[in-house]
Amino acid sequence: MRKVLAALLALAASSVFAQETIKIGVITDKVGPAKPYSEPTLEGIQFGAGEINAKGGVLGRKLELLIEDDQGRPDISATMARKLVDAGAVFILSITLTPATQQQQNVTLEAKTPQMTPMNSGDTLTTQLANPYFWQTGPLGSVQIATLLSHARAKQLKKVALISDNSDLGQLLAKFFRAGLEKSGIQVVTEEVVPRGVTSAEPQMQKIRAANPDAMFMAGVLTPENVLILRAYRQMGLKFPIHSSYNLSVPQYMSVAKGLLNGITFVDAYDPDKAEVRKFEADYAKANGGKTPYNIHGYGYDGIRMVAEAIRRAGSTDKEKIRAAMQQLEFSGVMGAKGMKYGFPDGKRTGFDPNGMVVRVYEGDKQGRVVHVGQK
Amino acid sequence: MRDFLELSISAAASGCIYGLIALAYLLMIRPTGIINFAVGEWAMVGAFGGFLLLGRIELPYPVGMAAVLGIMLLVGWATERIAVRPLVERGAPLLAPILALLGMLVVFRESISLGFGPDPHQVPEPFGFEHQKTYMIVATLIVFAGVWLFFERTTTGKAFEAVSLNRKAAALMGINLPQVTAFSFAGGAGIAGLAGLLVAPNISAHYLMGVPLAIQGFTALVIGGVGRVEGALLGGLLLAFAEQLTVRYAPLPAGYAQGVPLLLLMLFLLVRPTGLLRARA
Repeated sequence: MRKVLAALLALAASSVFAQETIKIGVITDKVGPAKPYSEPTLEGIQFGAGEINAKGGVLGRKLELLIEDDQGRPDISATMARKLVDAGAVFILSITLTPATQQQQNVTLEAKTPQMTPMNSGDTLTTQLANPYFWQTGPLGSVQIATLLSHARAKQLKKVALISDNSDLGQLLAKFFRAGLEKSGIQVVTEEVVPRGVTSAEPQMQKIRAANPDAMFMAGVLTPENVLILRAYRQMGLKFPIHSSYNLSVPQYMSVAKGLLNGITFVDAYDPDKAEVRKFEADYAKANGGKTPYNIHGYGYDGIRMVAEAIRRAGSTDKEKIRAAMQQLEFSGVMGAKGMKYGFPDGKRTGFDPNGMVVRVYEGDKQGRVVHVGQK
Repeated sequence: MRDFLELSISAAASGCIYGLIALAYLLMIRPTGIINFAVGEWAMVGAFGGFLLLGRIELPYPVGMAAVLGIMLLVGWATERIAVRPLVERGAPLLAPILALLGMLVVFRESISLGFGPDPHQVPEPFGFEHQKTYMIVATLIVFAGVWLFFERTTTGKAFEAVSLNRKAAALMGINLPQVTAFSFAGGAGIAGLAGLLVAPNISAHYLMGVPLAIQGFTALVIGGVGRVEGALLGGLLLAFAEQLTVRYAPLPAGYAQGVPLLLLMLFLLVRPTGLLRARA
């Protein structure tokens, strides 16, 4: 009788184990400043996980997302990481602000839990802490600027104007832009700042007009202030070309800056002509009642698929094996120029190919074709 | 010369917005003594009203504008009922409603952020992109003329003035103080909402737009003085011209120019704490 009972228990236990999910932690920002980016990234992760589960999951087990909100706050984000580790997450995807992602690394390093950010672009995430359990696959800020500058060199610009806002990130980008431009032998003839909350950017644009540049570089990241700049540019009938940071790749501009965008070039990590992108957009729209995804959704989608692939290759949910598999991973996703592959050769932990970004142009109010690829 | 003329129109348009916000403050400060920093958030609510009624539902502009104005009058009236009257009736000090209104500021901002999301939205302009600044200036002048006439030519306006001169004496004369307070909040919200609706096509409707407007409007009020309606407009125009001419012509590195209006504010507080225009005796 006892043997029968033990066999029954073993059977019950094995069926429980067969159905046990693989827990993937996600730390997102639902209310803070990263929300406009975190929200679509999370939707991309959820869509990707759904797709993987519909095909039978990974190692015969379904993926289960454990989602935590750190509000983009570094002071509470490590607690969220600890909560996920304690809940049994074998991998953590960080889709919040860069400083918050940085803070989570203290936990993942100590708990030896693989962690990846598929969207953060801060250059310092893999340099401040030697954390072999952390990877970054969002394109680095320095790569964005180098790509845009490579496009500028191809245009043979001699003197340019630089405009940004007074946000921390806007100022940082402007600093990188200025250094990069000067290094390329392009003279910055005037540099202007549009402070947050002003109601006109005309004085700044008048100064730029007076400096008569070959082109203007936009390094700002605040959408309303960027729209003010574009309004002044159109109102004053200015003709010099505008080259913008990654910020203008956010699709919100197509509705909020209607009629102001034609001809502006911007750096992006998304090529709408790529076969993988077309398939992703069609599948996503089909699963979400016709809602078309955009570039930021692609980061989340690529991120969860890379995690699944690493677990598949590891052949187990052992975190050390997953770490080793992740470091060896080569993966082509929807993000990046045609043919780009994410990879971490020679122990590198930034996976986005430095030649994988593109420069695109607004055609009317639509984000249009690719006009330049990589940094060459 | 071309730059100066262009800039004059641009600064006049910005100055009108600051003036309207200053007027909204003034309408409430005069009879009640309450500084309501939530006026910036009222402007934001007006901007989102414009986005919803003119951008989404696509009502004809005059209808949408009237609807926004109506909604804002209600919002102002309700704010007074919720955050001011209960405190005043219980004899709370003046600081209590000011703090309660700061709380309302957060309530307005977070409600809009939850309802509309964090992204900015475009608000349509009635006469197209090229004429927006002229429209802003004309609309502001009409509002100021209306408010001036109200105070100078109507009995209700005189009642407002009486309350601002001496609350107790006004009450003894039979003026209904709670009614005057309610009207002043409704009017303040109406004017702030209108400012939001006018400026939104330029700066987009977004949930963080309120605080900068509240600061600019308050600076304009301090410069112009709380004594007279026209002081609000004068203060707004002076501030906007100082801001924009400094950025354009002052030999300062980019970014430093934004400190100049604040210096101006400090200077005014030191030299002329009552503002440019004093109340009539």
